[in-house]
Order: sequence, then C-alpha cells, then structure tokens
Amino acid sequence: MRVDVGAVSDFEDRRLRIVIAANHQVGVLRWRDRFYALHNRCPHQSGPVCLGIVSGRLSSEKPGSMEVDEETPVIACPWHGWEFELERGRALWDPSYAVKVVPVRVESDRVVLEVGKSAI
Amino acid sequence: MYSGPVIDCDVHHARSTDAELIPYLSRGWREYVTDRGPAGNVPLTVQDGFPNPHGFMRADTYPKGGGEPGSDYPTMRDQLLAASDVRRAILTFGDDSHLAGHHNPYFAAELARAANDWSVDRWLSQDPRLFSSIMVGSQLPDVAAEEIRRHAANPRMVQAMLVDNPFNRGFGHPVFHPIYAAAEETGRPVAIHGGAGGWANPPSTGGGSVSTYFETHVLWPQAIQTHLVSFIAHGVFEKYPRLRIVLIEGGSAWIPSLLWRFDAEYKGLRREVPWLKRLPSEYFADHVWVTTQPLEVAPRKENVVELLRSMKLEDHLVYSSDYPHWDADEIEYLTARLPSEWHRRVFFGNACRLYDWKEEDIEHAGAVVEQTR
Ligand code: FES
Repeated sequence: MRVDVGAVSDFEDRRLRIVIAANHQVGVLRWRDRFYALHNRCPHQSGPVCLGIVSGRLSSEKPGSMEVDEETPVIACPWHGWEFELERGRALWDPSYAVKVVPVRVESDRVVLEVGKSAI
Repeated sequence: MYSGPVIDCDVHHARSTDAELIPYLSRGWREYVTDRGPAGNVPLTVQDGFPNPHGFMRADTYPKGGGEPGSDYPTMRDQLLAASDVRRAILTFGDDSHLAGHHNPYFAAELARAANDWSVDRWLSQDPRLFSSIMVGSQLPDVAAEEIRRHAANPRMVQAMLVDNPFNRGFGHPVFHPIYAAAEETGRPVAIHGGAGGWANPPSTGGGSVSTYFETHVLWPQAIQTHLVSFIAHGVFEKYPRLRIVLIEGGSAWIPSLLWRFDAEYKGLRREVPWLKRLPSEYFADHVWVTTQPLEVAPRKENVVELLRSMKLEDHLVYSSDYPHWDADEIEYLTARLPSEWHRRVFFGNACRLYDWKEEDIEHAGAVVEQTR
C-alpha cells in the first residue's frame, strides 16, 4: 500500500521521525538528500528501535583507530544498543539479521512509503 | 586407554639449584647475583604466591637421586615419555616461568635469556621429543620480542610463553604487542599459562584478593579469561592475523559460556571496538587452542562433554599432563572422560595444527626416537 507521509521539507536532516502508515509505526529518516524507512520493531526483543540514535557508521582500519562513514547511517536500538544500517536494516555484526525496512521514495517533493500487507 | 601418538603440551622442566642457571647469565649479571657473603645469592625466583599444603609436586616425581621434580631427565623420561606414546612434549619451565613477576625488568629479561639457553642446552639436547617454550620478560616487550627472534632458527623453541603480568593490563593491551609481532613473524604461538598475575604482580582474582591456595586455584580461570577477552577486544587477531595462542591450565568448560556472553555483548557494544570484523567466538575458532588439564569434573562426564561440544572444543583442546605437578591429569583418566572420536584430535592432531607440524612426520619419527633412548 502506498502511503504519503509528508513533504520533503517536513523532514529535518539526520532526524528520524516516526509516522503511522497503514497502522504500522514506521521510522522515516532523512539523511542529506536520501530517505530511509524501517519498522519500529527491533528483531531482538521487539524494542522500539526507531527511538534510537542515528549516526554515521563507525569503522576502523586497524585496532585503535576510529573513523566515521557518513555515507552509511546506522541506528542503535535504545534497548540493548544493537546497531542496524538503515539501507537494508542489517545488523552490523550479521547481515542476515535485520530490522524490516520499508521502501521509500520521493515523488514530486512528497515522501512516499510502500507498506506491505505482511508487515507487522 | 588411548594408545595412539601423544603430544603433551604442558610439561614443567625445572632446575634444582641456582647453580644450574647462573652459568647462563652474562658475566655482569653473574657478578650481581652471586657471592654476596653471608646474605647468599640474590634470589633468582620470585618469592611470592600461596603455599599448597601438599606441596606443588606429585610426591612420586621426586628423583631418586635427589633434586626437584621435573629436574631430572631420566626420571621424566621413564615416568612421562615412556609411560605412553609421547611423541613430543612441550616444556614449560618450573619456578622460572614466573620471571615476569620480578620487579626488576632488566633482571627479568636476563633471566629469560638465561633460562631459554639453559633449556636448549640441558634439555633439548637430551631427547628429540622435547620442545621448549621461550620465556620472555614481558616487563620489556621490545626486549622480549628480540628474545623470541633470537630463537627463530631453532624449530624446537616452539612458543613464546607469558605467565605473570607485569603491568596489570590484560595481555591484549597494545603495550604487549611487540611480543605478538615477533611471535607472528617467527611463526610461534603465544602460550598463556594459568597463574598469570598471581605472584608478585596484580592479583589473579577479580573482586578482591583471596586468602588460600584453595581459593586461588579454584579461580585460576579468571586470569585466563581476562587475557582471552583482552586479546580479542583489542583486535590482536586483526592486527596479527596469523597469530595463534594456547591457553594453558585454565580449564575449558567455561569457554562456551564466556563466548556466548562475549558474542552477545559485542552486538550491543560494537561501537567501542569497530576494529573487530567478526564475532568474538569466530576469532576464538581461528586463533585459540586450550589445554585439557585440569579438565572440569562434573558428576556426569556427559555434562562437560556436552558443554565442550557446544563450542566445538574437540577441535581446540590439546592434551596436557602438567607433569610433575600435584594436579596432573593422566592419559588413562582423560581417555575415559572424553568421547573416543575426540581422542586422536585431543591427544595429537590439534597440537599438530597449533604448532604447524605435519602429523605424518611425527608418526613416522617414532622409530627414530626409539633408537635414541
Ligand atoms: S530490543 Fe533492540 S537491541 Fe534489544
């Protein structure tokens, strides 16, 4: 189901907003000119993952170094800190473990979600 | 009883007197140590630790001709090597293993150098089945690294060994890394022997110091756990991807629960250690070996086996007797406690992988060893 959740200008950069789309809580993130959306339910213990903090992904070339990849936004679940990248919802420590993402696109300056029937 | 080839990964060879080691010290250090009049020599061993009410040695290992257990090659040969098909034994020193507990770092480094030369000279020359650890004075990691490199050309000096902890930091801390760089470069595993940190330096128990040998011995795994977690969390295996370590005498049945916890914590705390690219248990699987002694004793042996199996420890356990210590495990006893399909791996094959030895070479070498006896 196609759901219009607002104008692009309604979304502040780097801030995740929770919207209700077809009875689902969906977190929508604007990250510069890109949009991401994921269900507000953590696969670990069903915590409200979208209430977590979003940042660029931390990485490291070698022990002791700390770099941030601003191209890859990640969210840390507020309950136990598990981190997921927003693009595919994948956990940083296991790509096969993921939060469900919601397809999102911009149409004529509107942010539009495609919420499937089978979503939570 | 298992009757195949055996590699014993923890055999304590000792010296009976200071006089055995002193000739291996440099002239200057010999002068420093000896002939201090009525005061005697400067002690070569760290004077600390808890007394064991039984003594630390199996009573029957005292050589008939006198001297300390583990100090007499013929006694060791007859009691240990000849008692089963021991193809190789890894020597791990006696009290000299605690030299990193010395407060004087320069003295410790010199003692390490001397002890290693003593080991080559007095032990490796006696029997081709004997292989030695390389003691290092970890107080001076750069000097320790040089000591490891000094033995690079001797294939019978098989591993760098850490016991005491001079800095009160887990062994994964970068201050120790020169040692691991040298170990990786020379293809030598790093052995961490239980008791680490329990002597002159930091206490080996978390939460507070203990009062009896009984307590300290129950809690020996704590220090080993600290070092294992430290190695993985500091990314030592990312920095030195060919490095292997072996945990000696810290037990093994706790490993599954520690790794379960370690993996779970990593999921929430990865931000702190983004240099880790895999789960802690995956680093363990590729880099860590564990000696059998002391195998935990459960009322039902199946309980221990099930735990070990849950982390595939049958591929990581290497047999160790701990001869001639009072808490040694016999091959016959272990044979009965471990599933028969594990025996060859635990008594032989896993150690071959650890030390990068070819199983066929060692099995074939058996006939040669017989002639030399
Ligand atoms: S519920 Fe999200 S990390 Fe536990």
